[in-house]
Amino acid sequence: QVMVASRNYAYFANEATFEIKKCDLHCLEEGPSTTAVMTREEGLHYYKTMQTIRCMELKSDQLYKQKIIRGFCHLYDGQEACCVGLEVAIKPTDHVITAYRAHGFTYARGVPVREILAELTGREGGCVKGKGGSMHMYTKNFYGGNGIVGAQVPLGAGIALACKYFGKNEVCLTLYGDGAANQGQIFETYNLAALWKLPCIFICENNRYGMGTLVERAAASTDYYKRGDFIPGLRVDGMDVLCVREVTKFAVEHCRAGKGPI
Amino acid sequence: QVTVRDALNQALDEELERDERVFLLGEEVAQYDGAYKISRGLWKKYGDKRVIDTPISEMGFAGIAVGAAMVWLRPVCEFMTFNFSMQAIDQVINSAAKTCYMSAGSISVPIVFRGPNGASAGVGAQHSQCFAAWYGHCPGLKVVSPWSSEDAKGLLKASIRDDNPVVMLENELLYGVPFEMTEQAQSKDFVVPIGKAKIERQGTHVTLVSHSRPVGHCLEAAAVLAKEGVECEVINLRTIRPMDIEMVEASVVKTNHLVTVEGGWPQFGVGAEICARIMEGSAFNYLDAPAVRVTGADVPMPYAKILEDNCIPQVKDIIFAVKKTLNV
Repeated sequence: QVMVASRNYAYFANEATFEIKKCDLHCLEEGPSTTAVMTREEGLHYYKTMQTIRCMELKSDQLYKQKIIRGFCHLYDGQEACCVGLEVAIKPTDHVITAYRAHGFTYARGVPVREILAELTGREGGCVKGKGGSMHMYTKNFYGGNGIVGAQVPLGAGIALACKYFGKNEVCLTLYGDGAANQGQIFETYNLAALWKLPCIFICENNRYGMGTLVERAAASTDYYKRGDFIPGLRVDGMDVLCVREVTKFAVEHCRAGKGPI
Repeated sequence: QVTVRDALNQALDEELERDERVFLLGEEVAQYDGAYKISRGLWKKYGDKRVIDTPISEMGFAGIAVGAAMVWLRPVCEFMTFNFSMQAIDQVINSAAKTCYMSAGSISVPIVFRGPNGASAGVGAQHSQCFAAWYGHCPGLKVVSPWSSEDAKGLLKASIRDDNPVVMLENELLYGVPFEMTEQAQSKDFVVPIGKAKIERQGTHVTLVSHSRPVGHCLEAAAVLAKEGVECEVINLRTIRPMDIEMVEASVVKTNHLVTVEGGWPQFGVGAEICARIMEGSAFNYLDAPAVRVTGADVPMPYAKILEDNCIPQVKDIIFAVKKTLNV
């Protein structure tokens, strides 16, 4: 005799509303709403994507320690909510560029796990045929994966310039870390992007450490969302995928309306 | 007769007109008509979208230009002089030059970095460096160095149409120099192929290889030497990378003597590369004497005119090197 437990989905709602943390604002009258609605499908999708990235990164960690992955291997486990929240708030025709902690974004932008692991292990089946490695993975509308700290920020603004040039109403997410936030070229880029009103969303992923250095030892001001000075900014809870999603939607609309950068 | 400045201006005008993805950015390129007036009239004709003034932020605007090139655009990024390109050299090398390879060919960067290179007149050490060797060193970049108006126009057009990042090393002292330009060279589709050198003067006794302004000095030296019965073959490299070493080899096979002439410093320079390649190739067996390099003096450029004049290759230095090689 077999006992089978069955769930009756009639008792489950199709969507739910969540309270999300209010964002700190800089040069903005209003931020995004403090509630977010998520459907069952969305929830499963976000969870599955984040969990896949987590597993992939933990496996990469093992492979790196076994020296099957060589050189550098910057892992994204713990930060999954950022890349997933960002990706679900933009379109595939929007653009993303980030620094070297890029595996999560590479997956979120559509490169299969198999091609990522093949690239990390230097195989021809890798997304760039083993020529790039951990820090240089690319796919459509995803420009890596950049090894030089901060260099990707002007590149991202350049991509935004191209978006504006042809009036395609696309935006560019330009990411950097708390360590990179002190690079001079980022401030040059803030100035250029604001002068030219580029549809560029500057995103600082603050994981509190630049290599081994705690943020307070590296930055005179750790209010990274304010450091664009004349550029409006928000401080977002990066551990909450819905918070990231809502703020990204807000920022994207801001840029599509021609009010960028942010 | 067309000056190098006007030739460059024509090239920019024609390419801006031909392809709407081409745009020019740099300091003073728009409303000031260009720091050296190379882009005169272009902002008036094409407007803010195609000719863009930038603040003094080389690393920022060079990076932006590279980013734009990675998407659909074909930027021409002007450095007021290549000395300032050092502020942005990471973007030129790590972002522009290496991306095609790192992305296994999926991302191309059709950008041109251009501006004056090398010694000027009395501008001092920080404003006089030649970057031919530095950029010529890097795979992923093409590097061109025009001498005449025909070179300038044809190479700039070819560079803009090339899907690779190209560094174009102009010369400020050449901007005002007029050269003859053939009918053909004045057509809108005239391009000088990248990677091909040109024999400016046929000769039989010695091969003089040079690029940029020193090509003119080589021709002057050749005229003087001709009166003494020495016929020099003068090769204008036109492209530093990929270098047309085949033309140099063919010439050395004929003349058996080689003198290289460049404005840059001697160590690890263009002449050093030419000599190494000649040694590695078939032409080595045809040399009747060691090759000689004529270069800029191995010192930061001094200010005083008499010192400065003696720090760059002069006609008398080239004549001296030829006579030393030929043992006359």
